[in-house]
Amino acid sequence: MYTESWLSVGPTLDECIKCNICTSYCPVAAVTDLFPGPKYAGPQAQRFRERGQKNSPDHSVDYCSGCRVCNEVCPSGVKIAEMNARARAQMAAEHGIPLRNRLLGRNELMGRIGSTVPRLASFGMQNPISRVVADKLFGISREAQLPSWNKGGTFGKWFKKSQSHRLKSEKKVVYFHGCGTMHYESFIGQAAVAVFEHNGFEVYVPSQNCCGLPLLSNGEFDTAEEYFDNNIRKLLEYVRRGLPIVGTTPSCTLTLKDEAPELLDRHDSDAHALSSAVWDIFEWLRDLHDQGELQTNFRRLEMILPYHAPCQYRAHLVGKPALEILSLIPGLDLRESHARCCGSAGTYGYKVEKYEISMAVGEELFSFVKAQGPDVNMTACDTETCRWQIERGTDLPSRHPIELLAAAYGLYDVEARTLLTN
Amino acid sequence: MLDLLVVGAGLSGLMAAYTAAQAGLQVRIVNKGLGSMHWNAGTVDLLGYIPGAEEKAVQRPLEAIATLLQKYSDHPYSLLEMKYVPSALHTFVALTEKLDIPYIGADDNEENLLLHSPVGVPRPTYLTPKAQLAGNLRRNAPILIVGFEGMLDFYPLLIAENLTKLGYQARAETLPMELLTNRRDANTVQLAHELDDVTRRTKLGRQLHELVGANERIGLPAILGMDAHAEVMADIEKLSGAPVFEIPTLPPSVPGIRLFRALQDGLKSMGVRIETAMEVSGAQKTISQNGTSERLAWLESKTTTRPLKHRAANFLLATGGILGGGFNSDADGRVWEVVLNLPLTMPQDRSKWFDSSFLSPGGHPVYTGGVRVNRDFQPVASDGTLLYENLWVAGNMLSGADPILERSLEGIAILTGMAAGQAIATR
Repeated sequence: MYTESWLSVGPTLDECIKCNICTSYCPVAAVTDLFPGPKYAGPQAQRFRERGQKNSPDHSVDYCSGCRVCNEVCPSGVKIAEMNARARAQMAAEHGIPLRNRLLGRNELMGRIGSTVPRLASFGMQNPISRVVADKLFGISREAQLPSWNKGGTFGKWFKKSQSHRLKSEKKVVYFHGCGTMHYESFIGQAAVAVFEHNGFEVYVPSQNCCGLPLLSNGEFDTAEEYFDNNIRKLLEYVRRGLPIVGTTPSCTLTLKDEAPELLDRHDSDAHALSSAVWDIFEWLRDLHDQGELQTNFRRLEMILPYHAPCQYRAHLVGKPALEILSLIPGLDLRESHARCCGSAGTYGYKVEKYEISMAVGEELFSFVKAQGPDVNMTACDTETCRWQIERGTDLPSRHPIELLAAAYGLYDVEARTLLTN
Repeated sequence: MLDLLVVGAGLSGLMAAYTAAQAGLQVRIVNKGLGSMHWNAGTVDLLGYIPGAEEKAVQRPLEAIATLLQKYSDHPYSLLEMKYVPSALHTFVALTEKLDIPYIGADDNEENLLLHSPVGVPRPTYLTPKAQLAGNLRRNAPILIVGFEGMLDFYPLLIAENLTKLGYQARAETLPMELLTNRRDANTVQLAHELDDVTRRTKLGRQLHELVGANERIGLPAILGMDAHAEVMADIEKLSGAPVFEIPTLPPSVPGIRLFRALQDGLKSMGVRIETAMEVSGAQKTISQNGTSERLAWLESKTTTRPLKHRAANFLLATGGILGGGFNSDADGRVWEVVLNLPLTMPQDRSKWFDSSFLSPGGHPVYTGGVRVNRDFQPVASDGTLLYENLWVAGNMLSGADPILERSLEGIAILTGMAAGQAIATR
């Protein structure tokens, strides 16, 4: 646990000037006494943590959702969220990882199993009886929104099947779909492929693994490292050819870029090569636009669209690229959410002891959406667990911005979530 | 492309962005984290003391600036035309009225107000949010300081005792924390949110009515509401039946945060975005068209991977001084400007940073140093030559003042921010 990168985090705690800005902005501390705030759980408690320690001094850090608002607002650059992530891993090492957290950490495995019999799996997971069982037995909240498996098969299957229609081009990208797109929301991947091709790029979809984030956030660092190594092995040849690895889920791309190498202390050249080649899709599209190469032959999209940038963008440190690109679409009345977090925070909101906190955190966002008036038909957010949470909190469908971009190119039906081409 | 990229979201950066946007420019602000305004008492100090002069608070700052400039000719105020100062402050006051966070100017005599510090020491200041006005110590009325049991960093007895020592009539009372919150622990921002609740503030107002004596005014920690601040003030004054004023607290400082949020909303409605967590750390320089000086093509901020480019026609640095994070220093005595390594006027020798007397009335050289600019707020080398054709600097980065000692922090920030924004817009 006490590793080289722990040392890279530790010294930043001396930069803490105790100004309390982090606690003032922390969305979790705002709604519960169970979490005293980033300053206490982070730099303050950090002084009582040491190598080989038997007992974690402060268990409240388990209630940190990892949204990173603290890092964003800190005027001194203290790595609070990273301190907290390590402290949670230390707690997991001490107390063992509950089965529930092992399940939530393994969405690739869950996805794969379910994808063999998608309808049955969706029914098995979604029906009220199994939700009660999962709630009582494992502590997976029966209220939280769980996804359904793709009825028409995985994204990978679609991509393979559609090979004959796929664009061949000198310009190529590698698409990192993540587990959510692979098993639950293949239409996101289809929209992304359509956008890449519309801009003249041939798309590679090599075999890939879960980025490892759910494991990291549940403190299972060893398994996360296996996944990370697999991804290096599978993607490195493309990286060496100079191709960008572009993903549609900001949490996956963040993990490959930063969280995995940082938390797993992977400072080797292969890890560095992979993480430096990874882009979030809108970060990549914005760069394309900066170079004057983004197709801007948009149709009008007449709608009011509340957009919430997911917390992971805070860690990417790239601003809100989806907002910038969507703002190019004529007719689209974008409303930017300044809510701190949707509350779901990946697997956090699925845990029975945290579900209510997660909905209370999300209230700021839900009421922002409601305040945009009755003409709002949908919202947009880049990360799937956030979208599911926003749907639950607002009773409105939520879309990935890439779906709106594909729709603005005339390639995609954003209501039905289907491609209009192949 | 943007007309102007402002680096820094403190008071000077925000006011520069406002002025430029008001003049029709496309502006964006990037900042590293939220900072200085969250530590700020929310008042606008214009000039409270003249360093090195006998220690007497300045009464009429607009006149005293002339005296200050005779002594310190390279002070940032020397960059301003004196007739500009009152009109710019007037613009600021009008803006705060528009943003529903009205600031009150000094009275017709243009005299400084004497407001409260968190430990009961009078602070000379020129403009104040309405909520602090009733505390003006130039007015003669007995004062009741009310605190809350267990509230951190706010000690009513200490405040009342210090005020009494200075000859003011003051006493203290303490109310139970349950009036404000059921939480185990809460900071000033969380308490302010609690008082947004009507039931809470009604209870507090009634309790205050029980405590307050005839003719007394009531001083409370600055937690009187966040989103519903105006309503909270009005209700508490009505229910207590006495004039009520806020005393700024240690950070996080609610009056500063209110001003920040109001300015942020105002800028947003003008199409100016503030992007936080963008630490600008590099730049691409080019030679200008006439070939005589350099230009900035873009600034770069750190991301988890590749640097992010921020292109704009013009750039303004308002990253603050040592306190704001615009300058950094090391144990060898080196002090540097963090974005472009602009030349600084402070001594690059640690033994010369400080005067031998800790409380030296003239201050310490390391705090008065900064970036040297020309009359258009563009940074220049020591021989006066322009460094970058499209770069401006404002606020506490400017050389020639020790704003904490002078109590001129917000005056310099607002006035130089607006003047620099104006200079960019009229170019």
